[in-house]
Amino acid sequence: MAQSTRIEPSILHKLAKHLPENGSDRWAAIRQKSMQQLNSTQFPHKKIEEWRFTDLRPIRRTEFSHINDAGTYKASDIEKYFIPESDRSRLVFINGRYNETYSSIGGLGKGVTVGNLSAFSDDEYVKKYLNNLVNYEDDVFTHYNGLMFEDGVYIHLEEGAKAEAPIQVLNLYTGSEKPFIANPRMLVVAEEDADVTIIEDHIGLADNTYMTIPVCEVKVKQRAHIHHVRIQRDSENAFHVSRPIAYVEKNSEYHSYTITLGAKLSRNEPRVVQEDEEVDFTLDGLVLIDGEQVADTHSVMDHRFSHAESHQLHKVVVNGKAHSIFNGKIFVQRDAQKIDSFQENRNLLLSIDGLVNTKPQLEIFADDVLCSHGATVGQLDPEEVFYLQSRGMTEEKAKEVLTYAFALETIENVKVESVHKLLIDEVYRYTKANSKPKVTA
Amino acid sequence: MSETKALETMIGEEYKYGFTTDVEYEDFPKGINEDVVRLISEKKDEPEWMTEFRLKAYRRWVEMEEPSWFNATYTKPKFDKLQYYSAPKNKPKLNSLDEVDPNIRETYEKLGIPLEEQKMLAGVAVDAVFDSVSIFTTFKEKLAEAGVIFCSISEAIQEHPELVKKYMGSVVPANDNFYAALNSAVFSDGSFCYVPKDTICPMELSTYFRINNMNSGQFERTLIIAEENSHVSYLEGCTAPMYDENQLHAAVVELVAMDNAEIKYSTIQNWYSGDEDGKGGIFNFVTKRGACRGDNSKISWTQLETGSAVTLKYPSVILQGDNSVGEFYSVAVTNKRQQADTGTKMIHLGKNTKSTIISKGISAGKSDNSYRGEVKISKKADNARNYSQCDSMLIGQTCGAHTFPYIESANPTGKIEHEATTSRVGEDQIFYLQQRGLSEDDAISLIVNGFCKEVLKELPMEFAVEANKLLGIKLEGSVG
Amino acid sequence: MLEIKDLHVEVEGEGIEILKGVNLTINKGEIHAIMGPNGSGKSTLAKVVAGHPEYEVTKGDIIYNGESILELDPDERSHAGLFLAFQYPVEVPGVTNNTLLRESYNTIAASRGREELDPLEFDDYIREKLDLVEMNPDFLERSVNTGFSGGEKKRNEIFQMAVLEPALALLDETDSGLDIDALRIVADGINKLHHEDNSVVLITHYQRLLNYIVPDHVHVMIGGKVVKSGGKELALELEEKGYDWLESLATVNGEAK
Repeated sequence: MAQSTRIEPSILHKLAKHLPENGSDRWAAIRQKSMQQLNSTQFPHKKIEEWRFTDLRPIRRTEFSHINDAGTYKASDIEKYFIPESDRSRLVFINGRYNETYSSIGGLGKGVTVGNLSAFSDDEYVKKYLNNLVNYEDDVFTHYNGLMFEDGVYIHLEEGAKAEAPIQVLNLYTGSEKPFIANPRMLVVAEEDADVTIIEDHIGLADNTYMTIPVCEVKVKQRAHIHHVRIQRDSENAFHVSRPIAYVEKNSEYHSYTITLGAKLSRNEPRVVQEDEEVDFTLDGLVLIDGEQVADTHSVMDHRFSHAESHQLHKVVVNGKAHSIFNGKIFVQRDAQKIDSFQENRNLLLSIDGLVNTKPQLEIFADDVLCSHGATVGQLDPEEVFYLQSRGMTEEKAKEVLTYAFALETIENVKVESVHKLLIDEVYRYTKANSKPKVTA
Repeated sequence: MSETKALETMIGEEYKYGFTTDVEYEDFPKGINEDVVRLISEKKDEPEWMTEFRLKAYRRWVEMEEPSWFNATYTKPKFDKLQYYSAPKNKPKLNSLDEVDPNIRETYEKLGIPLEEQKMLAGVAVDAVFDSVSIFTTFKEKLAEAGVIFCSISEAIQEHPELVKKYMGSVVPANDNFYAALNSAVFSDGSFCYVPKDTICPMELSTYFRINNMNSGQFERTLIIAEENSHVSYLEGCTAPMYDENQLHAAVVELVAMDNAEIKYSTIQNWYSGDEDGKGGIFNFVTKRGACRGDNSKISWTQLETGSAVTLKYPSVILQGDNSVGEFYSVAVTNKRQQADTGTKMIHLGKNTKSTIISKGISAGKSDNSYRGEVKISKKADNARNYSQCDSMLIGQTCGAHTFPYIESANPTGKIEHEATTSRVGEDQIFYLQQRGLSEDDAISLIVNGFCKEVLKELPMEFAVEANKLLGIKLEGSVG
Repeated sequence: MLEIKDLHVEVEGEGIEILKGVNLTINKGEIHAIMGPNGSGKSTLAKVVAGHPEYEVTKGDIIYNGESILELDPDERSHAGLFLAFQYPVEVPGVTNNTLLRESYNTIAASRGREELDPLEFDDYIREKLDLVEMNPDFLERSVNTGFSGGEKKRNEIFQMAVLEPALALLDETDSGLDIDALRIVADGINKLHHEDNSVVLITHYQRLLNYIVPDHVHVMIGGKVVKSGGKELALELEEKGYDWLESLATVNGEAK
């Protein structure tokens, strides 16, 4: 009988010898537990179903160093990413470390606590929730973050508190000679009836190699609303492995929009877990890739109680030699009746060297539900291209316009104006650059 | 809920084919090793190349691991306790039906498959496989007139070695997967069909499989070859007695369609499914694959899966020829503790290839029903098209429905569309139909029939009757 | 033919009373109209008479042809000649109109000891009926109500009524959602189907249907009760004055919502 191959996460282990020591006793416990888990977890490989299409060898082959302290940048490099709405509600992290100079957190109104996690390590909610919400079985990356994180974002809204402005979380990664790893962390707790909008942005300032492993824990209590926009604009040589998980309580809403533009290899695993009846959540995604980018989204929408409404629209455009992977799981557990869940995955494959793998997945254990998914892979509709050409556009222009329109649908619901606008600009930039199939030699 | 009960009664009707036949068997050792493989080959008086084929497969199998990636749990078969060859004693070469063991003949009568040609449905030729061996093939002469070869695979190995040698293992290689490898090593019998160039097979061909012996596995092998411009429709039916022990059925079916040829393969699978507590029943681990080798060829799979304790089955089509077409129509019904993980693979290699997948899963009782499919458009498959629709219906609170569609496209001119829904038999639908005079049972039958309609209409007429009976549903539009 | 006595009805398991003592008598050969504002209980009444499982009769009785039908299943009531044209006809994908009607017709025929029709005989029979509602034969091969427009669904209900020949037809807002031509077709169909041996109950919001079908009696329901009954002129009075002038009648007992 054949033997299963066990690949040692040796590189990660080596790094883990230099443990951070800040934070409370609780943090020490988290690190200790993460170390144990890391030691008993296999580094993923293609024989594991969940990693069947994603080749992690580029990560395994890279020798990462410690966090990059040196990073050089000008103020203007950073300031240009500030959004006006968050002038006084902005947190800036550089290579995973909090930067007080550029952060500004005075303008959120009553009942809203925002800051860097390490300043709140003794906070009761941080003690209660940090690392207790995250739930990614057998995941080297989560455990690694649990072991190595030093800081992060903390957002807490008291009962009934409404954040007066969207909170911008800027994660910037600077140029460095050696590849490094960052471990951003985020904990968001919205108490009953609270309301907040979060704009989480990851930006590579240069074209260097690094890996960022953002772990984000969100708790949405009864009747609370969270609008969460996640933009990934990492460097073209970066690895981005994100683990955002949200728990939704009765009558709450959680709407998340993830826009994937950067990184050489990204693996995004958003999850929403229903904790009570009557919830409404969204897990939308837009992926625009070309070159040799690999963008992988593995999402879970876990319906555990009756009366949930959930939506997922995941749109992908692939050009060049890029490769998109999508696996969207919808679970409806026993007794979770009256679930209305809809998932749609649309892939636009522009080039002959591109590749799309998709696996929408339904796992239903209750009978009174309305669940559906649809997936398509194809090119632009030639009829539509022809129609626009007959109205005077060049073929190239027609394709550009149609690709643009295809992508735009996923960001329509982003409600912060400047962010909506910047995303439109990003979509425009991509479609402009990818109106023709890219053929590689 | 009463509707649940009604439907459960409907699809959980007592298994009618659970009787056993008293037959004397030849002695054969239990367990498996190279000697056993050789012995099987020897018993069948096979040529050297066939023995080698088996041994090679056996050596591969020994190195392979039993798969576990599917959505089912069961106690693995004890391969050293199984009997790999089971043939009724006194089975000389049969020249006429009179020589068939009367008990076996009676069995087929009971199953509604009389072997006397005059009693049979006109237009259907039957190969009856009892445990491991082909008992009798009807209408051979009539088929021979048209040039169609239809016989047991054992006979084909003797009489048409060049064809068997050329095609066996060419679609499902011996090392394709764990169960295919096992089958390749120990297959006992099965059906063989060869339709020559420019021939429309004059009648439906069918094989009726029956597992009788308690300790034996059934490893049959089917090979169908349709030469250029030919057409054949093939039906397969399966039943087994009720035993508390699980029985293993690991078949391999290979189809080859050349230019402009068409093969339509239909299955009604009604192996014993085990009892309420999941005791007994057949493990139905089957590898079925067709190759559209020629341009404009077409292979169509239609299946109605209602039996077996565990089913792992993915009838697939490799679309090699340009403009070739693959189809998969499936209804899978699970009840009690049944587990079905079934679906298809459509591998698009040629240009302008097309595939259609329509799958309807109905889960009741404490069963789990999974659709698992793969659609792949390779780099060279310009303008390939796939359309898939996978619908699930759940009845009651203790079953599960799962959909695992794998989709891969490496060609920008390809187009894949996949849709899946999950729904239930609505109370409002039942009330509406009851208001129109139908009983609750009939209302549910009608709704389920409507749900499966797109698939059931693909079954050949001869099978449609049985299919509807199986679903407990009156046939719609039986006249006209 | 039908006698409803002090009927009280709740939604099963929710304890909310919707019908609060309805009394109504319908004789053979009569046409009745039941009118009333939204939420007055008209549709509930129709569904309860047809035996919808969602409702629970807590008090009172429904007597049909001299016997209580409360214990009968919906199909048994159908066999007895009760027909409900649904306000929202239900879609049954994959089941053709033809199949449904043949099944229905033959089940009802069998229960009445009549001869069943074979598919060919049935086809002849059903085609005559199509003309009554001016429907295209293609209609027979389409799945029941699936993808039908609102008007088609309503016509389909009257078509089914024509095929099944009920003794008592309850038509629940069959006129709503119809344009003027469709309304005329439906009304003509109902008039043709009505004769001295059957009865029709029209449940409607508006008077306009009654321009085409003249009722013998008009009842107004408000707050789960019949608050006023009269002849056909009552409908015109309602058209003129609206329901407001009757609201007071409903609140006399302090029960209306």
